[in-house]
Amino acid sequence: MQFAAGQMSNSLGIMVACHLEKCHICSSRIRVYEQLGGEILQKTTPVEMGNDVLSKLLSRLDEPAPPVQQMTKTIDPRIPRPLTRFVPSYFDQLEWKGISKSIQEYKLPISDSQFSAKLYKISAGKELPVHTHKGNEFTLVMDGSFSDKAGEYNQGDFILADTQTVHQPKAAESSDCICFAVLDAPLKMTGFFGRMLNPFLS
Amino acid sequence: MSQDQPDNARPFDALVIKIAHDKDRSAFIQLFEQASPRLKAYAMRCGATAADAEEVVQEALLTVWRRAHTFNPVAASATTWLYTIVRNKRIDLVRKERPDLVSSDDLWPEAYTEKEHLEKEIESDLNVNIVRTLLHGLPETQRQIVYKVYFEGKPHSEIANELDLPLGTIKSRLRLAMKKLDTLAKEQMTWLIIILLTNF
Repeated sequence: MQFAAGQMSNSLGIMVACHLEKCHICSSRIRVYEQLGGEILQKTTPVEMGNDVLSKLLSRLDEPAPPVQQMTKTIDPRIPRPLTRFVPSYFDQLEWKGISKSIQEYKLPISDSQFSAKLYKISAGKELPVHTHKGNEFTLVMDGSFSDKAGEYNQGDFILADTQTVHQPKAAESSDCICFAVLDAPLKMTGFFGRMLNPFLS
Repeated sequence: MSQDQPDNARPFDALVIKIAHDKDRSAFIQLFEQASPRLKAYAMRCGATAADAEEVVQEALLTVWRRAHTFNPVAASATTWLYTIVRNKRIDLVRKERPDLVSSDDLWPEAYTEKEHLEKEIESDLNVNIVRTLLHGLPETQRQIVYKVYFEGKPHSEIANELDLPLGTIKSRLRLAMKKLDTLAKEQMTWLIIILLTNF
């Protein structure tokens, strides 16, 4: 609902947009929420427009339209369109920074006061140490798959981990697993996002 | 405007279609008169100043003029279409001078919305009225919170403070409201599946 309202924080917004590209259930929900937006629009109490706005507007109608932004082609088919501005080429060409042998990260240049956005790459077959999270961590699987004791996650899956989650993700043997993760600062989150986005919950 | 009283459920469809087909300026003026005060009100309730709100409305209506041919009445009502445009313009105005911030193109890529007509078809016909009924059917307490999400984008804790209610109450009211809407989305999925099955 917050996404459809255009009120979601930048990083999460991008993540939701990426997920929507893959998930039909969620995109049909978003459309219902957009309709709701339309309804709410009709219900607002109108505010009088300034006198000159219409004439200004009419005089601009003949201006040439700015070129419609060419859709950036995704070079790497694994990169969802909403991310292409931030990851312009291939995953492999990013400057991955190693945290350890089994996991590397790349910080995405999305400015956001509340969340930080990263890509993680877990090497094929590698297992991370058991860990929990200081806050909430939203993860979207981009490529490959990983599993923890709660189950297996594949491309397009959306996972919410919080302070209660203690897990030990392990990438599938067959390929590296790349995840898009959005972590919040000490700010407290409600868990409501997860509910809305996780198609498995309902 | 009495001679063609707009269809109540979809008041702007006919005007947008006229604009699309004939570049009809009088239709555009009518649309301006009927829609812009509400668009402005929406932008202002989202926190824009009156001047910024008028800027947003201008940009939104220019987009309507230029992109009216992409409006697909089968896909969604013009009201919904207008809503998505004004929502995006509002985001882009805030983010105009900050290229590092996310723009509406990032969040709602055009191509993506256009290729999905199949599913959208189901939405509009079945749902315009249902969504309306639902919104009206929500108890005032739930509706109030839905409005706050759309206009103010406030964290739930802040809404709780404002309404002087426990956070749990806010969350459960919103959850109830969303549940009703989600049921609707699910029904839509069912229809999609049925249509897909009958098409093949």
